[in-house]
Amino acid sequence: MAQGWGDGLPLIPPTQERVQDFLIAGGRFPDELIAVLPPLRAECTVEKIAINAVMAGCTGDAMPLLCAAIGAMADSKFDLAGLNATTGSVVPALIVNGPIRNRLDIPYQAGCLGGVASPAVAIGRAIRLIMRNVAGQLIGSTSQSVYGTPGRVAGIVFGEWEERSPWAPLAERRGVPGDAVTAYGAMGTANICDVVANSADGFLDMIAKSMAYPGANGFLPSSAFAETLCAINPIWAEVIAKTYPRIEDVQAYLWDKCALPIDWFRPEYRDPIANLGRIKPDGRVHLVPMPDDVLVMVAGGEGGLHAAMLHSWGTCLTVTRPVTV
Amino acid sequence: MTIILDPGASLAHDIADPGPDAGELAGRKIAIRIDMLWRSWDWVSEIWAEALRAEGAEVTFWRSCGRTGEEGEQADREYGALLAQSDMAIVGLGNCGSCTSWTIADALTAAATGIPTIAVATAHFEGLANNLAKRGGRSGLRLHVLPYPLDILPKEQVHDIARNHYRSFLRNFGVRSGLAEQSAA
Repeated sequence: MAQGWGDGLPLIPPTQERVQDFLIAGGRFPDELIAVLPPLRAECTVEKIAINAVMAGCTGDAMPLLCAAIGAMADSKFDLAGLNATTGSVVPALIVNGPIRNRLDIPYQAGCLGGVASPAVAIGRAIRLIMRNVAGQLIGSTSQSVYGTPGRVAGIVFGEWEERSPWAPLAERRGVPGDAVTAYGAMGTANICDVVANSADGFLDMIAKSMAYPGANGFLPSSAFAETLCAINPIWAEVIAKTYPRIEDVQAYLWDKCALPIDWFRPEYRDPIANLGRIKPDGRVHLVPMPDDVLVMVAGGEGGLHAAMLHSWGTCLTVTRPVTV
Repeated sequence: MTIILDPGASLAHDIADPGPDAGELAGRKIAIRIDMLWRSWDWVSEIWAEALRAEGAEVTFWRSCGRTGEEGEQADREYGALLAQSDMAIVGLGNCGSCTSWTIADALTAAATGIPTIAVATAHFEGLANNLAKRGGRSGLRLHVLPYPLDILPKEQVHDIARNHYRSFLRNFGVRSGLAEQSAA
């Protein structure tokens, strides 16, 4: 803490010996450049990743996932420079697909968004320490986040329950089959509860209408585009897939219902929204521009009853990268 | 002996020089970078543009919109083309975290071309703007600071602020004109 390296929790000292052991287990050369990270525009090498990962309590087998995640976040489409500086409470959520979920014990069942004991906590914390120590994201200095979010301490790292999903895995649908990580700029997580619906349309209506709240960044009069993500529990997913076996139809349904009438907004909002060309002929404004911008995945416990929505910050576009050893 | 390794990264090479002064205005082409976030910056820059034109400058506005994906690549090309035909650049507005990040990034791009450049931010984001400029390798980047909060004020009040700041803005930009050299009221 005195060195300014910490997040407030105890850290494991990154001794030369521990870092060397981590690098050996991770199987990467220490001087390999993974990315240049803003705002410091600093070179993030494998060694810097290893040092921070040791401090966070990670094990070396997470190195391929860490490298792929950092690479995804540094993609210019992700706008890490803006994300790290914003007044918003955004944090990159990392969604893991492929067999690596089980090898690294990444949670995708009950409690996957937080609370279940898993190495994902240390992996997420390592990413956050890299943002702090290497990228230079510091509250009050280079980050203006008004509230921050608990996800900025140990990240949001979870997987998709592919085995219970009636649809292809998220990363595969985004062109990366097998082991993959998807970086998504999440404005935290929020719950959607429904104890009444018993049909695909019922569940999807509740999810879509819950996501369409006027303070979501996607509705900002300054937002040309945004994405949104929902995690559907396997019980609901099974019901939904009987009516909508194609994931594209699920996305289209959610996109259509995830909208607000323009007269719902106060008059001063209407011209800026209209100037962006976002008012449809039927007088509605959609949260995101296209059905493809609604990201859908299956995760969560078998208790059903709940879905999770993760709104996007806005300008950062989701990036999926393969995880390679 | 136990050796603890440093998890941090060092700052890039720094340029503390603010770059060339704006100098004379008459006959010069000035690019003003505005954005899609802050109506107050539209209002300030329209007052300043009117005054700059009155001193003989040719002013071109460029609005920064989406900066990621294909839209972002197109924006970068447009901005680069504008800078290539401009003699100086005024870049704003840093009035939130991400927009300050983009304002400084665009100001650094302009400064790197060698033309006189000034970024504009509101007082609450002055520290962030300076930090980002420093971390971007150009701590000397010129910065003009407007009052905060600005965007919640009515248009007439923002116009008054723009007029009141115009002279100090010219001085910060290194403009040589009779108005800039007058002492502040």
